[in-house]
Amino acid sequence: MIEVNNLSYARGNTLIYKNISFKIRPGELLLVQGANGVGKTTLLSNLVNFIDPLEGSLTYNNLVIDNHIASQHFLYVGETNFAHDTLTLSQNIQYWLSIHNVKFNNSIKEKSIKYFFQELNLDKKFYQLSYGQKKKLQLLLLMLVHKPVWILDDPLSGLDERTIINLNSLFEKKLENKGIIILASHQNISLNNYKTLQLS
Amino acid sequence: MIENFFKLILSEFQLMLKESVFSFVLYCLLIISCAIFALSLKHQSMGINAPLSFLYIMIFFISLFKVEKIYSQDFDEAKLRQYLLSPFSLEIIVFIKNMMIYFNLIIFFFIFSPLILIILNIDLAYLLEINILLALSLLSIIFIASMTASITISKNNRLSLTSILTLPLFVPILIFSMAITDLIDFNTGRMYLFFVAYFLLNLAFSPLLTSFALKKLSI
Repeated sequence: MIEVNNLSYARGNTLIYKNISFKIRPGELLLVQGANGVGKTTLLSNLVNFIDPLEGSLTYNNLVIDNHIASQHFLYVGETNFAHDTLTLSQNIQYWLSIHNVKFNNSIKEKSIKYFFQELNLDKKFYQLSYGQKKKLQLLLLMLVHKPVWILDDPLSGLDERTIINLNSLFEKKLENKGIIILASHQNISLNNYKTLQLS
Repeated sequence: MIENFFKLILSEFQLMLKESVFSFVLYCLLIISCAIFALSLKHQSMGINAPLSFLYIMIFFISLFKVEKIYSQDFDEAKLRQYLLSPFSLEIIVFIKNMMIYFNLIIFFFIFSPLILIILNIDLAYLLEINILLALSLLSIIFIASMTASITISKNNRLSLTSILTLPLFVPILIFSMAITDLIDFNTGRMYLFFVAYFLLNLAFSPLLTSFALKKLSI
């Protein structure tokens, strides 16, 4: 369970948000919504311990979220792409899986790739891909890196309808397996049950 | 974990190979500037010290450019966030990257060094000694340059001029390199030990400070 108590964050002299509290249990999804600039991405960065909060506490299963806890249990997919432009798609997958210390067999890797990319040539250089295709590489980590908590920043932007449907069913499976999903998005998601946090 | 560590090294090596074009361009610029230097002083008797000092200064700049470019590409915010959530600590990733930059630059130097020595009118009998001298000192130069780069590329640091604080760390390398060339035939085993010791010192502090700067200043 993730528990956030009275979380506040300031950048310089500007208070971004104040006294945010919520709890998310295993099998629950939290959708963080709000206008541009209200601090959705900052809140997610706080959760993953990329930045320190001004005040408040963040715990995962009653343990304070530090670098160690975050790297063991959290998977973060941000807005901007992290892949290396000069590597091919296949080399990028290999690279980021080794960064996340994932041991996988090739059949799982191929199935996961097919799930998102369908008939894409894996030997294409990353810079040759479209925005949506680049986004899919980030989302591929969700299938291949096994961590209980997913923190996703605007995962639906730039994706085609079919991929959004695939992604939603991936969310459903994750929640069935008692995972936790926290996502910031301007779009609503097509799941029946989820919590919403409105930032203003 | 060990298996993935080696896969990571292999991937970093692949990545570094793709970046070799930039090193090649930098070394071409080095050869051009060496040629200009040698031509401008062709009527002077320079000995070995002046051309070697020039070579050192150029290698120093090449290393700074190379490290800065790799760091600005490979440690942008999106990648850095993934590195921070990796089971491998950021210090290890920084170390692997630095070593790959080192291998990339030193292999190019080994290839180009005979040509550079000919242009600078240095006796080719010194080729091996100069290569060893540079191979040892470049290790420290890269690790210090990584600290400089991590501060320079940071987005939260309004005074990126603070990176000049790391520049004095380069001075001992330049002084000792010149001191070695002053001794006849470079036969100074103990002097070379300085570079090993200085590298070990940098190895202890540089990855820690570099990753600290990346964490605190770039996210």
